Amino acid sequence: MALLDIKGISKIYGSVKALQNIDLAVEQGEWLSIMGPSGSGKTTMMNIIGCMDKPTDGKVILDGIDISAESARNLTAIRRDKIGLIFQQFHLISYLTALENIMVAQYYHSMPDEKEALQALDRVGLLERAKHLPSQLSGGEQQRVCIARALINYPMLVLADEPTGNLDEVNEGIVMDIFRQLHSEGSTVVVVTHDPEVAEEAQRTVILEHGRIARITYNVGRESRKGE
Amino acid sequence: MFLRLVKGALFRQKKKMLMIAFTIALGASLATAMLNVMLDVGDKVNRELKTYGANINVLPKEVSLLDDLYGVSDGSGVLSESELGSLKTIFWAFNIVDFAPYLNVKARISGRDGEFRLVGTWFANHLELPTGEALDTGINNMKSWWSVEGEWPAGDDASAAMAGSIAAERAGLAVGDVISVSTGGGNGESVSLTIKGIFAAGSDEDERIYVPLSVAQGMAKRPGAVSSVEVSALTTPDNELSRRAAQNPKSLSVKEWETWYCTAYVSAICYQIEEVLTDSVAKPIRQVAESEGAILEKTQLLMLLITILSLAGAALGISNLVTAGVMERSREIGLLKALGAGNAPVSRLILTEILITGVVGGVAGYFAGLGFAQIIGQTVFGAAINIKPMVIPLVAILVFLVTLVGSVPSIRLLLSLRPAEVLHGR
Ligand SMILES: Nc1ncnc2c1ncn2[C@@H]1O[C@H](COP(=O)(O)OP(=O)(O)OP(=O)(O)O)[C@@H](O)[C@H]1O
Ligand SMILES: [Mg+2]
Repeated sequence: MALLDIKGISKIYGSVKALQNIDLAVEQGEWLSIMGPSGSGKTTMMNIIGCMDKPTDGKVILDGIDISAESARNLTAIRRDKIGLIFQQFHLISYLTALENIMVAQYYHSMPDEKEALQALDRVGLLERAKHLPSQLSGGEQQRVCIARALINYPMLVLADEPTGNLDEVNEGIVMDIFRQLHSEGSTVVVVTHDPEVAEEAQRTVILEHGRIARITYNVGRESRKGE
Repeated sequence: MFLRLVKGALFRQKKKMLMIAFTIALGASLATAMLNVMLDVGDKVNRELKTYGANINVLPKEVSLLDDLYGVSDGSGVLSESELGSLKTIFWAFNIVDFAPYLNVKARISGRDGEFRLVGTWFANHLELPTGEALDTGINNMKSWWSVEGEWPAGDDASAAMAGSIAAERAGLAVGDVISVSTGGGNGESVSLTIKGIFAAGSDEDERIYVPLSVAQGMAKRPGAVSSVEVSALTTPDNELSRRAAQNPKSLSVKEWETWYCTAYVSAICYQIEEVLTDSVAKPIRQVAESEGAILEKTQLLMLLITILSLAGAALGISNLVTAGVMERSREIGLLKALGAGNAPVSRLILTEILITGVVGGVAGYFAGLGFAQIIGQTVFGAAINIKPMVIPLVAILVFLVTLVGSVPSIRLLLSLRPAEVLHGR
């Protein structure tokens, strides 16, 4: 069974049809890219998968649970337990250090564990910045803290909405390395991006237009690399 | 971690939190000042009103009738000076603020024509009470509104005198003059007195010369005698019960009588004075006694209203600040929600922050309020305000409620925040 099974979802805001009758399945361990012009419904779709919004129509089955039918309270719990979120803007709490920002996610998930949080920072190469406030970090470093936070509770699904949108090439490279590593460890990753190079890293790219799936491309090169 | 979150929020956003704490402190200080002043204003206003003089007049029984008819007593009084201390032993002893005895003597001043009216009294008397307490009383307290040229005689000065302005003019007296006085026919022994002060009271008191009580008793050859006593007492405004009692205490039922006796009605106090002073009749000087209570009640009501209004203002201010704070932090709160924090933990976090800020602000405000209370006391009443410990729990509860009520809108706003919307900047 697919980890994520989207069955005929639509999302309608008043007269705006943000999503129309989308069908999509994502397998465990898959790396999927979503591309499309601005306003095509990418973020809307991520919000629905990420349990932050509900579709107007259709079903979303995540790990066997129909999340389109759950209460807000349950959605919060599902999001906490199964999903790691990464945003285009680096949402960090300004008055907490890098380390504490990661520990907050642990705290609301289960138990803060400083050692584990430090390991997560180490993984994104920011061990020596643990005690710094977000304002003392560069954009790339902030995004890496966000990634470390998204991964801290071992989510079964990592959702990233334009994670490299605000980064220069060097930082983009660092972030992509982290995704590559995640994928090789077996994580399921969905990345929204405008950057074809970033999209190409995935096994599959879904292209949205006007709230519909326009086409799906398979990145064969990636596929073969996966088998190495 | 919760503590780290709260600590981070409090210490790394000092400015905002200080602003909120400051508003709370302002509200708390107003409440503290107003409550302290309000609880103390009774004493203060009464002390102010007391300057308008005594509100109970005590006369010997048989003179009382004469006094009613002619408005004068001729000095044949039979009240006893030694009994006066027992005024402070009645049920409402605490409400008796001041009293002064009088003994009238007609006398001549050597070298001047005509008779003068001498009044023996206590200028300032230190009284050891039967209860073991001590009391300073006398006309320097009772007649504090007299405008005095020279000075008030000391209590132990047995040769001091104070002349009313009219009497002084008639006899051509000036401060510092030494006079020799003797009773009527000139055959009594003469006493020499120093004029320590000349006063203007604006009443017939100005025609009198006040001398120490012992001097008047000696001249009248009535040791220990007092012809009248003026009493200044704090009273409760009259009501239907007290009016009935004043007419005839015996018309009351036992229960009514008890209520009346144990309330500081001027009639009840009079009744109790008559109980302790042999053959006395105590009468209220009505108007003043009634207005004291009424003015006091109105003043307190006014202060209560101001307190409530200022607290409402503080609540509004806190509400605005906290709501603005929450809106500013909507991204952060949306993020916490996205990370899996439910409504309860987020509300708990924000409330804890606000309450800690509230405690800091409340404590600071309490002490600032004590300062304000003293400023009000000094400027309005010219006296320190007594600090009432009871204000502490009151202010604590008020600050708690006001802060809580003030944060309700922000908590509601916060619960309605949807992470998807704030995190994508919509
Ligand atoms: N809360 C909302 N209320 C009304 N309309 C909305 C709302 N959210 C999204 N939309 C509309 O839905 C459509 C899809 O928006 P969405 O944010 O998913 O686009 P996107 O593909 O993420 O675009 P971008 O690349 O610019 O981020 C847009 O036309 C947008 O205006
Ligand atoms: Mg978007």
